[in-house]
Amino acid sequence: MRLLTHNLLQCHVKGCSTNNYPLRVEATNVVHKEADFNPEFITHMLQKIEWNALRTTASALGVAELPEILPLSMEGQEELLKQIHLVLMETHIMDGKLVCPGCSHEYLVTHGVGNMLLIEDEV
Amino acid sequence: MPCRVPSEHQAITKLSTCNNSTPGDVLSNVPAKQITRRTTGSSAALPATLDQDILTDASTAAAAENSFVHDVYNAIADHFSDTRYKPWPVVDGFLGSLPAGSLLADVGCGNGKYLGVNPSVMGIGCDRSDALIGICNNRGFESLVADNLSLPFRSGLFDAAISIAVIHHLVTEERRLAAMAEIVRLLRPGGRLLVFVWALEQDKFGSSNTTQDLFVPWKLRSSTPAATASVAPSTAQEPRVFNRFYHLFKSGELEMLASRLANVRVLRSGYDRDNWYIILERQ
Repeated sequence: MRLLTHNLLQCHVKGCSTNNYPLRVEATNVVHKEADFNPEFITHMLQKIEWNALRTTASALGVAELPEILPLSMEGQEELLKQIHLVLMETHIMDGKLVCPGCSHEYLVTHGVGNMLLIEDEV
Repeated sequence: MPCRVPSEHQAITKLSTCNNSTPGDVLSNVPAKQITRRTTGSSAALPATLDQDILTDASTAAAAENSFVHDVYNAIADHFSDTRYKPWPVVDGFLGSLPAGSLLADVGCGNGKYLGVNPSVMGIGCDRSDALIGICNNRGFESLVADNLSLPFRSGLFDAAISIAVIHHLVTEERRLAAMAEIVRLLRPGGRLLVFVWALEQDKFGSSNTTQDLFVPWKLRSSTPAATASVAPSTAQEPRVFNRFYHLFKSGELEMLASRLANVRVLRSGYDRDNWYIILERQ
């Protein structure tokens, strides 16, 4: 599971609608896999990404220290875009769990696959 | 080869083409209410006969989908995946039209055959079957296990979504509607959704068929080891038969469901290769 995907996920347990984001990553295995760098794509994704969630997750996993505030324009920000690319596209949670900050529900990640299914009562 | 299917499956024995030597989809008209389910195994929550009551009660509906959709896809995942490699033209066209850098959700992505169609798009797949998602993951596609009635994504972020041959596996109209609403929730304003479902009108079911809720057996080729042993009868020599629930959509039915969704407009709808499809845009 890429950190891009993690940034899009929220807890969806029934009734858990506040303080359900971001899911805290308790990873036992995080790997780096190279991916093609596309600055336009990264810039586009920045409209969708919750920056603070990405920044704190990247820092907690020891992947990168991203700046607190993004520049108004990403023009000429090649180095920063590459750093964001590394975090979003190249960092994979392989094993561990994603924990809801509100209800403490745990979603398991195994061999890079997150299991986001809930049992019937939780839906 | 003699057709020896255990007695629990007599309804299928009578109606399906069990002498067909080709594994995979065995197309036949087996109305859902004629199937008597197995009385053994872990699905004891289901009543002994699958009838219309199941199709209207929410908890039994979920149990029926577990037995007749989720368990089956997990068991047939490898074989199913081997037969799913050719994208459909309308789906290809939709994916090809997405601007570079679009974020795409493939809800019910199966083996991920659409996740690589447009490499300039970032696709995230999800499926209820962990066995199929395992195949996606091995192919390097970003994917996770999730239920299309309760998706784990924040709202309003995706530029596009597809639901190909998925919601026809849900056993009630309300659940099919809820699945569409849940995918629409993921889309940003202006984001687009393509839905494909099997059509009642397709030739292979015969022009006189009017049964919308039915079982379509899948014959698992005997060389494939099943992922789970609990969902179908088996003998050493014969292919194992798994029944999948389908709701066949009538002409106009997708449009009717779409008309009950808030915040969407229909861009296009039509018939393609035995399926009805619709393209919606989030307002």
